[in-house]
Amino acid sequence: MSKIKVLAIDDEPGATRMMKINLESLGQYQVEMVNDSTQSIATALRFRPDIILLDMVMPNLDGGDVKRLLQENEELKDIPVLFLTALVSDSDTSSDVSLVESGDGIMIPKPVKTEVLRSCIEQTLSGVL
Amino acid sequence: MDAGGDFSEKFGLKHYQSILDNLPVAVFAKDATDEFRFLLWNKKQETISTIPRQRALGRTDYDLFSQESAQYFREMDEKIVRSGKPLEIPEEILETGDRDEVYLHTYKIPIFDHDRTILVGISEDVTETVTNRKALQKASRTIQAKEQEIEKTQLQLIQIAKLESIGQLAAGVAHEVKNPLNLILQGVEYLDRTITEKDENTAFVIEEMNHAITRATKIINELVDFSTSSRFDKRECDLAGLLDGVLLMLRHDCSRLDVQIDRDFAEGLTVHVDQAKFEQVILNVVINAIHALRDVAQPRVAITTRKSTYSDERSEGVRTGKQIRIGDPIVEIEIGDNGAGISPEHLDKVFDPFFTTKPTGVGTGLGLSVVRKIVELHDGFITITNHPTLAGAMVKIVLPE
Ligand SMILES: Nc1ncnc2c1ncn2[C@@H]1O[C@H](COP(=O)(O)OP(=O)(O)OP(=O)(O)O)[C@@H](O)[C@H]1O
Ligand SMILES: [Mg+2]
Repeated sequence: MSKIKVLAIDDEPGATRMMKINLESLGQYQVEMVNDSTQSIATALRFRPDIILLDMVMPNLDGGDVKRLLQENEELKDIPVLFLTALVSDSDTSSDVSLVESGDGIMIPKPVKTEVLRSCIEQTLSGVL
Repeated sequence: MDAGGDFSEKFGLKHYQSILDNLPVAVFAKDATDEFRFLLWNKKQETISTIPRQRALGRTDYDLFSQESAQYFREMDEKIVRSGKPLEIPEEILETGDRDEVYLHTYKIPIFDHDRTILVGISEDVTETVTNRKALQKASRTIQAKEQEIEKTQLQLIQIAKLESIGQLAAGVAHEVKNPLNLILQGVEYLDRTITEKDENTAFVIEEMNHAITRATKIINELVDFSTSSRFDKRECDLAGLLDGVLLMLRHDCSRLDVQIDRDFAEGLTVHVDQAKFEQVILNVVINAIHALRDVAQPRVAITTRKSTYSDERSEGVRTGKQIRIGDPIVEIEIGDNGAGISPEHLDKVFDPFFTTKPTGVGTGLGLSVVRKIVELHDGFITITNHPTLAGAMVKIVLPE
């Protein structure tokens, strides 16, 4: 079975590396990291991820900007995006899944457990979310 | 023309009466040497006192007025006669049969004539002036009271503004703190997963770190709740369903401590609330109750909901937004417990941010501050008292219907 390709975009190298270590240690994930958000599109075109994890607050291009660029790109516009953000709080989230739907899409509040991240990715890819 | 002759010589005494009767003031005279019987009683005095001249002449104050008034007049009259000097009484009350109180500005003048002493009185009806002044005094007292109220409200607003700025600061700080927390959380997770052979100490360290992260996240999130309140998504919610949902979340804690839950829900009540935020409200309050029930023999939590009309003027609590007024339809939610209750000196502090009587790590003291803020942003208010019958605390949440 081929691995699920995840593109993690976050300005903090420690954050993407940590996600990579944790998700990859689960076995079925391959994670590529982007820390300079202006490189997002180029990396995505090369890596062809199944799903993108996108930090909201970043210098230069923020999460919203990157999402827009992805949408404008014919080859990338169908790739599902999950936002990760430290801006919302847990009590904003509905009780069963730790998510918030905002205008931009689904938000996962930080700090987030790898378990939650994994389940969000799986549910998104299977079309539940 | 005869310049020397005076009025009485020319026209006779009877015309004096017509002059007196046309004066705009009341004039009367009493014979001080004959029990102060009235000798003179002009038209204006008739109007003011509502007593006709025929009835008054030859009578005393005791025949015309109440014992109390008559005595007051008599003492005054005797004093004037003794002193031999005129007296001005800026304000005195004359009781009359059918009119309300009449206020008089009176001059009393003693006139000594051989062996007789006459006491002349001249009174002006100042009722209107006095009533106006009293109304003014009352108005100014009301204004003063209102001013005090405004001052108090201002203080409360300052307090709210302070909380608001804590919230804004927290929102900024939260972002900076949650990112490192995220790293620590995932780092601990990684260690937990990869260190397969854990000795007792390693297991303890990892567990404690996980607890610490959960605590820090909880505090940050609660602080942020102060500032994110504008993002409310209010909908019509079934109140009983919402409460049962929260109780379901707490079922493990309840059964572990053997807490009996008494539900008394009015049928078909709906409330207009942000469901997630309002669940948080109920959750915080019920968790407080459960905490208070730790060492209680037969722990109970009683939750009552009812539709009502607001009538209790005494309920304290800051009310912001649309105030609930007497007579407004309301929904009441009461959550009582039979725990230890709240000591009187703590009652007005429990809503303060960071006020807690719980050990560090157990309580941060933000629970009720968040609760109150959320309730107020729903145009309601919340009170906490000691329960009249259950011995523990009782939280009452009032929302407009
Ligand atoms: N049902 C209750 N019975 C007795 N005391 C209570 C009750 N509810 C609240 N209190 C008192 O009010 C204090 C403040 O409550 P609050 O919920 O704001 O903070 P906390 O419970 O201490 O901490 P947390 O932030 O975890 O909620 C409590 O520490 C407790 O002393
Ligand atoms: Mg609490």
